[in-house]
Amino acid sequence: MALMPKRVKYRKQQRGRMRGNACRKNFVAFGEYGLQTLESHWITGRQIEAGRVAATHFLRREGKVYIRIFPDHSYSAKPLETRMGKGKAEVAGWVARVKPGTVLFEISGVPEETAKTALLRVAHKMPVRCRLVTRRHSL
Amino acid sequence: MTQTMFLEVKPREEVGSRRVARLRRKGQLPAVVYGHGQESVNVALSLHDFSEALHHGHRVFETTLDGQKATLLVRDLQYDHLGKTIIHADLMRVNLSEMVRVVVPIEQKGTSKGSHFGGMIDEILDHVEIECRVSEIPDVLPVSVKDLDVGESIRAGDISLPPNARLVTDPETVVLHCHPISKAKTTEELEEEMPAAPEVIGEEAEGPEDTAD
Repeated sequence: MALMPKRVKYRKQQRGRMRGNACRKNFVAFGEYGLQTLESHWITGRQIEAGRVAATHFLRREGKVYIRIFPDHSYSAKPLETRMGKGKAEVAGWVARVKPGTVLFEISGVPEETAKTALLRVAHKMPVRCRLVTRRHSL
Repeated sequence: MTQTMFLEVKPREEVGSRRVARLRRKGQLPAVVYGHGQESVNVALSLHDFSEALHHGHRVFETTLDGQKATLLVRDLQYDHLGKTIIHADLMRVNLSEMVRVVVPIEQKGTSKGSHFGGMIDEILDHVEIECRVSEIPDVLPVSVKDLDVGESIRAGDISLPPNARLVTDPETVVLHCHPISKAKTTEELEEEMPAAPEVIGEEAEGPEDTAD
C-alpha cells in the first residue's frame, strides 16, 4: 500500500485543473540538493515510494532523503467492462498534484556528485521532466 | 570583504506587471531604490550585468542616480517560479561606513569527528544575521566542524565573526547538529504503518445516530 492520508473529510474528490506555476514549495528548504519538476502532473503514491526506494538504496545509509510532496488527492476509476453511469466510481488511488517549480525530493549530508546521481535515479521514476537544484543562500 | 563595482541604473516609468514583463523581455531588470529617508525610485538595470556581478560575490554597487552618486546595497531578490532568473531587486541607499543588518551564509569547513562514528551533520540554519559596516560585509562565515561529535551541535553564538560585527540572530539558535544516521524504513515496514484506506471524519459519528432512529 503506497502513501495516502490517514484521515480525510471526504473520500472522493473532483479532479480539478492544474494551472500556473508553483509559488510555494519551489525552493530547496531542508536539504542541500533537490529535484524540481518542470511540468505539472499527478504523481501517485507508488511513484513517490519508488523514488524514495531508489534514492535510499543508492545512498546506502548515507545522508538523508526528504520527500517534499504528499499524495493527498484521491482519484476514482471504474472497473473494466462496466456500463457507464451508476454514480462515481470507487477510489482507485492517491496522487500529489505538482506544478512547474515544485521541489519533489531533497537530499542532504552527501557530496554533490553522490546527490546528483541519487536524484537522477529518482528522476527516472517520476512521470515528469525534472532538474537538479541546489539550496540558494538568502541575502 | 565587500567589493564595490559600478552599476548603470536608469529611472523607469514602467510600472505594473504587463509593462514590467515587457521590460524584462528586453533584458532589463526592474528594481527599486530606497533608504536614507528619501523617496523610493523605480529603476531598471541590465539583468546580465547584475546577475554576473552577484555571481562574483558583489553586494554593494556604486551608481549615479539623478546626477548624484549613490552607494546601493542589495537588500532583497525575487526569483521566478523555477528559482533560475531574478525578476526584481530591492536596492538600499547606504554609506560605506554605515552599520547595516545583513544575512550571511555559513560555510562548513573540514570533516566532522562524528561522521567517522556513523553520524551526519544536519544543517539546520544555513545563514545568520549580523550587524556590521557596509564595507566589511563578509561573503561567508566559515565554521569548523572538525570537533563536532555525534549528538553535539554548533550554535549561532559559537561562530567567530569578523571584528566590529555583532550577531543579531539569537546566539542559542542551533546552526549545525551531528546526529546518528537512522536506518531508512523499507516499503514493507511503511506498509504496516499505513492504513488500508483513510478514515473518513464523521462517518463513525453518523453510524450510532442512524441506528437510534
